[in-house]
Amino acid sequence: MSIFIDRNTRVLVQGITGSEGSFWTKHMIDLGTQVVCGVTPSKEGQSIHDIPVYHSVERALRYHQVDASMIFVPPKLTKDAVFEALSNGIKKIVTMADGIPLFDMVAIRHAALEHNALVIGGNTSGVISPEEAMMGSFPHWIERVYKRGNIGVMTRSGSLTNEVTAMIVKQGYGVSTLIGVGGDPVPATRFAEMLPYYQQDEQTEAVVIIGELGGTMEEEVAEAMEKGIFTKPLVAFLGGRTAPKGQKMGHAGAIITGGKGAVEDKIEALTKAGALVADRPSKVGYLLEQLNVSKNR
Amino acid sequence: MKMYEYQVKELFKDAGIAIPKSTLIHRVDQASEAFEAIGFPCVIKSQVLSGGRGKAGLIQFVRDEQKGIQEVTRLFSLPQKISSLLIEEAVDIAHEVYASFTIDPVSGSALSIVSATGGVDIETLAVEQPHKILQTKIDMNLGLQSYQASHIAYECGFDVEIAKKFTQLLHKLYGLFVKYDCELLEINPLFITKSNELVAGDGKCSIDDNSMFRHEDISVPLADIENEAERLAMEEGIPFIQFDGDISLMCAGAGLTTTVYDLIHYEGGTVANYLEFGGPHYKKAMKAMEICLKVPSKVILIVTFGTIARADVMAQGIVDAISKLQPDRPIVTCIRGTNEIEAVETLRKAGLNPLFDTEEAVRLAVALAKEAKI
Repeated sequence: MSIFIDRNTRVLVQGITGSEGSFWTKHMIDLGTQVVCGVTPSKEGQSIHDIPVYHSVERALRYHQVDASMIFVPPKLTKDAVFEALSNGIKKIVTMADGIPLFDMVAIRHAALEHNALVIGGNTSGVISPEEAMMGSFPHWIERVYKRGNIGVMTRSGSLTNEVTAMIVKQGYGVSTLIGVGGDPVPATRFAEMLPYYQQDEQTEAVVIIGELGGTMEEEVAEAMEKGIFTKPLVAFLGGRTAPKGQKMGHAGAIITGGKGAVEDKIEALTKAGALVADRPSKVGYLLEQLNVSKNR
Repeated sequence: MKMYEYQVKELFKDAGIAIPKSTLIHRVDQASEAFEAIGFPCVIKSQVLSGGRGKAGLIQFVRDEQKGIQEVTRLFSLPQKISSLLIEEAVDIAHEVYASFTIDPVSGSALSIVSATGGVDIETLAVEQPHKILQTKIDMNLGLQSYQASHIAYECGFDVEIAKKFTQLLHKLYGLFVKYDCELLEINPLFITKSNELVAGDGKCSIDDNSMFRHEDISVPLADIENEAERLAMEEGIPFIQFDGDISLMCAGAGLTTTVYDLIHYEGGTVANYLEFGGPHYKKAMKAMEICLKVPSKVILIVTFGTIARADVMAQGIVDAISKLQPDRPIVTCIRGTNEIEAVETLRKAGLNPLFDTEEAVRLAVALAKEAKI
């Protein structure tokens, strides 16, 4: 079993008629994802790749049972789309847009906590369980990257995720579920909040986190390990070790503020909690071997 | 987007937060008039976006016109181009306080940070004396509540008169924070004068880049940006930072570019610039290379591993850019991701030798940079 999404997850796509939405919905279906309906206001009655389109989430839910919503709307409309899904009782949401206003992300994070929902994103490629299903935009057909296996991956990046995952696969491993929490300063769901799901998941034998400077998400992972919430082997790759301090380089979320967020502090916290930290992408697979993680699929 | 001090102070003034009397000058010949208007002693403050101005000697306290003109002349002729100076009255200070608003990403709320010990670097204070910093979460659906502001003021140990003024100031500051979609809005130091007035001595404001469409009236004057590469990048919205090393990065993906930056340092190389043309910019290889060629570097290193940012499109863009711009330095490419096979073919046809492994590409770039030095 994977986490968050599998072949049984019934997915609604908000923004299905847009060029990105339509393009990636096709790839989601090709991989095996159960896309059941789509929503674009003013486009009810159309169909995209044989998927019926409705004016609103509420109207779609009159005809379909839905477990999760995939949001492909532009950044300025994202908050509204997430609120629409949440208020219709959808508890798993992935929102991709890069460029969501900061205060909109604050409102989304706040609402997700209040609704007790898992909202993944924004500024992310989404969630993929290779050879199973995906919500988002992953080049799942590149086999040297998206191969099924027993490693859970969580990341704040897009291209860097392809880079690191390719290295994990090169070492003979594969991925159970990869979750991109996104590169914004306020991700709607944080690394540590996904750990209990990986802990329970039988397919996942170890977890790799792809983090970077800025924020405190990696420290929260260390805390979850210290508390025994997560007890499986964990390897981290952290970018920005040599980044100039105080300067915004990389993701908006990647800036050291308030004396927190330096990579050295993250390495110290993670190491103390029993994780191994790779200094370059090619080391990640070796560290998994060092932790005796098997190469079972 | 970071704003200049004088811009932030204009926001403060409009919101009813007191600021010292000041005049902005752009040339040495404007100094005499400014000194006459402000009087002595006064403070000459260089308007630059980087921090640590005091330590860098970019803020000068002067007591007479002769010394004043001397400092203004010196500051305007520094190699780091300074396009404006703020001539500001010296305030009769009794006490300095720190006050700011930012975001708490964990709880999804705003965060007020206040310290009765102001004028110092808050990040240093956070490490050395964390108990002197008061942090208060504010539900952004409700806004800053009066009880919260008043509690903060009394926790700082202010007497009733100052506490009331400070409470009002916090409300004004929070109002600005929300109105301008700030990542950070800070007054440091906030002067409490000997006559019990609150005056904003310095201000920092960073507006969320994703919210700039709501604030088209605010911008950092591009003409003030001396560095041509930086100005070109800003016009295109391409993330760019110039350093003084050898290897020019032209990469895609924020996390990947940061990682390549690290790898270069591990391999003993140095970085001439950070440039990231992924995401919405992946069709801008021509512009990206034009910017990189304005930077004095020994080699250009191109690393990508995109999904939506298609490898074949980027490869074609790079080949076009090379044929048009005729770069005078070696280029190392490592282009992967969606349609990578086509990308490799395009690069090979153009006579390039595309690599497929990031670390190998980094090692080659570092070696080429070293060769060029000899």
